[in-house]
Amino acid sequence: MGRSQIELLVIYQDIHLMLQDTEKEEANIGFSMEGKEKLLQAKKEMEKNIDIRFLSAYKRLATRFKHPIVPVQDGTCLGCFAKLPTSFSARGRADQTIFTCEQCGRMLYWVE
Amino acid sequence: MNQRERAGVFQQEFFMSALKSKTKPDVLEEMVEVLVRTGRVKNKRIVLEAIQQREVLGSTGIGKEVAIPHCRTLAVSSLCVVFGRSKKGIAYGSIDKKPVKLLFLVVGPPIEKTNQYLPLLGRLCERLHHAKTRNRLLEAEDYKSFLEIMEGGE
Repeated sequence: MGRSQIELLVIYQDIHLMLQDTEKEEANIGFSMEGKEKLLQAKKEMEKNIDIRFLSAYKRLATRFKHPIVPVQDGTCLGCFAKLPTSFSARGRADQTIFTCEQCGRMLYWVE
Repeated sequence: MNQRERAGVFQQEFFMSALKSKTKPDVLEEMVEVLVRTGRVKNKRIVLEAIQQREVLGSTGIGKEVAIPHCRTLAVSSLCVVFGRSKKGIAYGSIDKKPVKLLFLVVGPPIEKTNQYLPLLGRLCERLHHAKTRNRLLEAEDYKSFLEIMEGGE
């Protein structure tokens, strides 16, 4: 089964944060980090599978926020803590399409 | 991390005393499967891919028969640690090229209130550096013994 656009974007963000955040900190702990170039390449390859509209939106959000995609917990956007409409949450879970928070504009991911 | 927090992280349902897998991809999947079975992960593919991509950055086999595969991903809502043991050892591509017998899978969310992820990784590395701890973990008969080892001082 192919991956949905939101799945691809979540993995894309995971890799982005992995490269951005953990490189220095994890190297200090003692983990090996020699594959940075390979991971950058994998991230680039992944871009080919993401719809250009979503990728552009993600990149635009990334200029404003550290986490362009945020989880939804108990019907709340964990980026800005705005309560999302109930109907909106139900649709997000069922469709697995891409929804954005009406308050902050971040993309939303329903973890549970 | 205090005793209570540690007990919260090292949960009984995540204690795997005898891993069945013999290869690195299989063992990662076997350990992630526990998170799926216990309802901590809904989307296994995302977690597996994040872990595999982390391995591209550098092997998490830190040597001395220990591996700490880890990643932060949106696909989990709280920090989880799965302990797995393979007495025969698994070819993991560790820095010392030795098979891995003790594995700690650490998966945490990118946004974490308590900010335990990196300190936990650091403490695990530090603790597993001691031969005595590793030997005791290899011999631990049950979850209770495991928890005592992880909570005890070195």
